[in-house]
Amino acid sequence: MEYSPAVVRHFDAPNRARELPPGTPGLVSGEAEDRTLHVWVRFELELEAGIVRAAAFQAYGCPHTIAAANVVAEWLEGRRVEAARSLDVRALCAGLEVPVEKLGKLLRIEDAVSACWRTAE
Amino acid sequence: MSSAEIYLDYAATAPIDPAVAAAMMECMTREFGNPSSQHAAGKRARALVEAAREAIGARVGAPAERLVFTSGATESNNLALNGVLKRTRGRAVHLVTSRIEHKSVLDVARALNNSGVAVTYVPAAPGGYVEPERVIEAITADTQLVSIMHVNNETGVVQDIAAIGAACRERGVLFHVDAAQSAGKLPLDLTALPVDLCSLTAHKLCGPKGVGALYIAPRTTLLPQLLGGEQERGLRAGTLATPQIVGMGKAYELADPGREAPRLAALRDRLWEALRGISGVRQNGDAGRRAPHVLNVAFPGVEGESLRLALRDLAVSAGSACAADSPEASHVLTGMGLSDTLAGSSLRFSVGRFTRDDEVTAAAAWVANAVARLRGLAKSAPSWCSA
Repeated sequence: MEYSPAVVRHFDAPNRARELPPGTPGLVSGEAEDRTLHVWVRFELELEAGIVRAAAFQAYGCPHTIAAANVVAEWLEGRRVEAARSLDVRALCAGLEVPVEKLGKLLRIEDAVSACWRTAE
Repeated sequence: MSSAEIYLDYAATAPIDPAVAAAMMECMTREFGNPSSQHAAGKRARALVEAAREAIGARVGAPAERLVFTSGATESNNLALNGVLKRTRGRAVHLVTSRIEHKSVLDVARALNNSGVAVTYVPAAPGGYVEPERVIEAITADTQLVSIMHVNNETGVVQDIAAIGAACRERGVLFHVDAAQSAGKLPLDLTALPVDLCSLTAHKLCGPKGVGALYIAPRTTLLPQLLGGEQERGLRAGTLATPQIVGMGKAYELADPGREAPRLAALRDRLWEALRGISGVRQNGDAGRRAPHVLNVAFPGVEGESLRLALRDLAVSAGSACAADSPEASHVLTGMGLSDTLAGSSLRFSVGRFTRDDEVTAAAAWVANAVARLRGLAKSAPSWCSA
């Protein structure tokens, strides 16, 4: 498998791969998985005054999954919730050059973030 | 290879021994004759080919004249299976093999099955051992060939080819052994063993790629698969690859299982001792039945592709190098009962002639760090990620 430099960069140093402190005000979380694709993703978002103040993720999956989750977390942070809800992982992660056979894994990232919004409602 | 890399993938291929390279260079630069030619240059090339054949035969306990040169073990496996099973027309033909064979046996078996040959795939026990009793049970009145590898290329588990071969002899069934991973690594005496066909290769043994051989026992007949010349007694047409054959001969001459195997086993065991401290790790394959150079380990809770990228400076394999482009989990490990998840999180380490102690120590540390980092990315992951 060949990886783009962007994938390698995010995979080697996924700076949003972390856990937000339990009890953080406005903390919401969501998970998604697909066992057949060997992918599990969990997102935590700190929401304050309609803005995503912090975003964190955990992921079990391939390098593209980890890199894409990191890209999404970086993108979410500081964004207004209304804008964040329009997340399109495939478009956002185009720079990672994810192979077409792996695009299904990226949708699990979108599902995990969507689950965060449901928790927030 | 970069000096920052560590190579522990000898079961995929091995670095060429300098003495092999020197012998090949001597041949390439001085003896370019066609070994089938009758002039002096051709006769000198023929002498080199026959000397190599003798050296290989001596290493595996086979009369030199029973060896046919091929392009490698894959071609040898193709020639053995197709050569036996396509020679019969007009009656039912049956092949017995196992689920954990190399793709160059399994893909041929599938193709033969598509053309009407009945095939029985014997499962492996959880330790990767193909029980001879299961093979014997699968033999029918139509069985013409049993094909079982000597050493599994992914787990290193050694199969009991003496017992299986003896059962085949009693029943008048031909027995083929793929010895790509064992020849030169374990003592092999093909004259003493009840083996009719045996595939050999050079490049796993610090020899060149692109050359191998098939041992054909007396009174075993094959239908040639390559036509267009009388080379190799008409069994394998094509100009002999003299430099490669010379290299293979030198590689087999240099191989010394009695001397090398204990050293390789010590390296392998040292690697396992260093890895076993990682929580949850397990060896794949019966440790009591293993060849000295292979260690296959599952790292639960770590996705395999990510582990391999994290360890990109450590040359190891997820499974067979011949299946490395496939996203499927190893058919060998799943055939032993591992889940797709655990099979995917497994790595094959294989040591060889030039592996050093410090490389094993460093490799184990790299693996421990990579596993810890990746597990740290998925602390809350559900249990299926580790099962």
